[in-house]
Amino acid sequence: MASDVGAYRTDVWVDWCPGCGNFGITSAVYKAFAEMALDPTKTVVVSGIGCSGKTSHFVNVNGVHSLHGRSIPFAMGIKLANPELTVVVHGGDGDLLGIGAGHFVALGRRNIDMAVIMHDNGVYGLTKGQASPTLLSGLKTKSLAKPNIQDAINPIALALASGYTFVARGYSMMVEPLKEVIKAAIQHKGAAFIDILQPCVTYNDIQTAEFYRTRVYRLEEQPGWDPSVKKSGVGEKEKKIMQAWLKSQEWGDKIPTGIFYQNPNTSTFEDRIDERIPTYRDNPPGKQPVARKDGGTLIGDETFRKLFGEHIVKTEEK
Amino acid sequence: MARRELDLLLGGAQGAGLDTSANVLTTAFARLGYGITSDREYFSNIKGRHSYVHARISTTEIPQALTYPVQVVGAMDAETIFTHHGNLEDGGYLIFDKSTSDRRPSSISSIEPDLMRRLENTFAELKIDGTIASLVEFLGEVRKVKLVELSYPDILAEVTKKFKLRAAYASRYISSILVGAVAGLVNLDGKSVRYGLERRFAGRPEVIEQNSFVADYVSDAVKGKYGSPHELGRSQLGCDELMVASGNDVVAMAKIVGGMRYQSYYPITPAADESFFLESSERLEVNGESLGSVIVIQTEDEIAAINSVIGAALTGARSATATSGPGFSLMVEGLGWAGINEVPLVVTYYQRGGPSTGQPTRGTQSDLLFALSASHGEFPKIVLSSGDHSEAFYDAIEAFNLAEKYQTPVIHLLDKFLANSIATLHVPKLSALKIERGKIAYNPPRDYKRFDLNDTISPRAFLGSKVVTWYTGDEHDEAGHVNEDPLNRVKMYDKRMKKLEIADREIPPEKRAVYFGPEDADFLAIGWGFVKGVVLDALKELSNQGLKGAYLHLKMFSPFPSDYVRSVIERFDPERVIIVEHDYLAQAGMVLTLNTGIVIEKAITKYTGRPMYTRELIAAIRRVINGEKRVVLSYGE
Repeated sequence: MASDVGAYRTDVWVDWCPGCGNFGITSAVYKAFAEMALDPTKTVVVSGIGCSGKTSHFVNVNGVHSLHGRSIPFAMGIKLANPELTVVVHGGDGDLLGIGAGHFVALGRRNIDMAVIMHDNGVYGLTKGQASPTLLSGLKTKSLAKPNIQDAINPIALALASGYTFVARGYSMMVEPLKEVIKAAIQHKGAAFIDILQPCVTYNDIQTAEFYRTRVYRLEEQPGWDPSVKKSGVGEKEKKIMQAWLKSQEWGDKIPTGIFYQNPNTSTFEDRIDERIPTYRDNPPGKQPVARKDGGTLIGDETFRKLFGEHIVKTEEK
Repeated sequence: MARRELDLLLGGAQGAGLDTSANVLTTAFARLGYGITSDREYFSNIKGRHSYVHARISTTEIPQALTYPVQVVGAMDAETIFTHHGNLEDGGYLIFDKSTSDRRPSSISSIEPDLMRRLENTFAELKIDGTIASLVEFLGEVRKVKLVELSYPDILAEVTKKFKLRAAYASRYISSILVGAVAGLVNLDGKSVRYGLERRFAGRPEVIEQNSFVADYVSDAVKGKYGSPHELGRSQLGCDELMVASGNDVVAMAKIVGGMRYQSYYPITPAADESFFLESSERLEVNGESLGSVIVIQTEDEIAAINSVIGAALTGARSATATSGPGFSLMVEGLGWAGINEVPLVVTYYQRGGPSTGQPTRGTQSDLLFALSASHGEFPKIVLSSGDHSEAFYDAIEAFNLAEKYQTPVIHLLDKFLANSIATLHVPKLSALKIERGKIAYNPPRDYKRFDLNDTISPRAFLGSKVVTWYTGDEHDEAGHVNEDPLNRVKMYDKRMKKLEIADREIPPEKRAVYFGPEDADFLAIGWGFVKGVVLDALKELSNQGLKGAYLHLKMFSPFPSDYVRSVIERFDPERVIIVEHDYLAQAGMVLTLNTGIVIEKAITKYTGRPMYTRELIAAIRRVINGEKRVVLSYGE
């Protein structure tokens, strides 16, 4: 049952530049959360630093505004310590693929059940427009003294190579389809990544709304496009990854958006822990009692000897 | 006459089985109720470089310190003899392989050039040709060392033949040659040795059988030829059980007892073994019943380690990481986030030689100032340290209590010496322990605010509880939203900093600095961490020689027990107050000055990466009491 969209907004003034792509992204987030009727107390938005980092203060669910590049590790600790929480990461392109690229890759390897929403505008907005890791080389956006000398990362290809089991792209000005992709990412069991193209009205005078308007198209409207792996057998997954990878190379006159790849058959990290520790989901770290009612340790003298007996030697008379 | 003590050194190449020898002997000695402490010295290397275990075994107490010279050196290889012949007392016993008698240092590529040069000088001075044969001849004739000459190849051939083993596997049994030889010299019975082997090779009966054969065979041969000159008497410890563990093991056990349920880490020496231990204990099951579990995550780097710990702590899990200097260097930004957001977490920090990669496998105490000032900005931080295995156990539990009571990061500062020291200790007593979780909002009101200014320490509601909460690394308002108002800034700043004042009032000073020795002592040594044992051992010796000393053991550096420490020091002649620590600057002395205004004039330091030994410390204490300001120690290989 859907909830009221307004209930997902906080009273905090949204201080992005007028016309910022982030408004479209948060609109889609509010709607997606409302349609999914997410319980605000069981949902956590974890954000990094930069313009996108402020997102957690604008959404009326638990918000953890973490450190530059570190939103994924924060989110990992939260999710693994209490797997019943719905965890959504918001980061910028510099945040997730620059300073935080190692964590971005590691999340793919782990396939923790969370969604990563990347605000991709090609620039470091809050520090006045330096080139971000997704800005193509040779481009000279407004603040740059010289054209960008570094090559761009392809976020979709990197997510595929890292092992994300849901890889998609959205466009901030197309709120309805973006909302659908966000919902699918949250519903997906495993690490989900959405690269959201967004204009930066202040510092990116190349990849503007006008630039994207004529180029962006939707994959789901392409006849025969099917990004999902149906079975867990050999071959299909590799085919779908290749298809997604080829699609990720498309950029220029036509820019694809929508779901590139989805594989629900890979075990999540939580499943893997569960296999090793059968009590994990029922009694995760965040919920375990660690003391007796009287404040004593849960592990008493006798239990201690049973748990760590291999380090205890019964002495014998010489 | 049976002896009360034995100082022993066993050496061999990394990966050659030295750990097995030490482990089996330690368990066997513990079986007889003896106290043992040991130091494990090794290079940053997996196979081939020289490593050794230096141990003291006592029938009357759990030894506090190590000293040289030792009475027995057990050499797996020629390099051990070249490296340690000077560590053996005159008339001591050298166990070695006579088939190595034609080896020279120049034929051993693992010997570092510095030692090679020192050896060349020694050989020139002694007028010997530098072979093992010439060196042991000198040791035997001039220094009256008893040469326990064994033919390792012959012994290995024996076991290979008896059990029809492949010759290529023979070297696996060298560890038991040393075990057997030591057992013979101290008259350690075959049953205890076998117990040690059963512990080491649990579930592999044939391996136990074969090694037991080797140990007994060698033990009998040694006893037959030399008797048991170092026979140890009955244990006087009066306990029916002993724990045998490394510092890493002890801390891991304590964390489990203390309720830690989430640890993430990145592999680093000498901290990683703690996480290994935790991972192998992740299911806390007793008699098929689950008491919970510990989630241990190996992250992509230390940055992820500490930040995921913060995330887990926000959900209410007692959470920690374990690292060493290079890893902690990467963690400091996360530490500040935890500080401004009042997140309880524990960093177990095993110091190793720095800066940079420094001496990755050697010990130090040079990170005290770094730990105290880690991360930019000001926030309360609790920094405590432990002097031995037992202290480390109880402190590791207390660290979580302090973190949760004062809602702030706690750094538990340890070192490589403790981490890798395998020792016996009394099994900890848990019945008196308390888990103190501080203020928690289990039923938070609807208008709950995480940083409620009505209280200096405001109740924590966990992520996933009945309310929505916000956190930010920015300065924030009571709800956790970004706020740059100057007056709010002062209130929030004060709220955080005042927690340290509360901690300072609440934590008893005598738990933060512990005084050992008579009230009317002639001099005062001040130290912290692993120097505790060696200082106490030196004081005992000096007291026997008529010089009465006391030791002030600093345990908590933030909040620092300023008044108490000042009151102790003021009782002494400033010329007779000495700081003892493993670094160059004598950092604990600087912290003491900062907090008390008292400048400590005398220092004994060591920064070779090797521990301090009782004998060199005694000599140094005498020197500073006789007027020297600073003595730098350097004994040990």
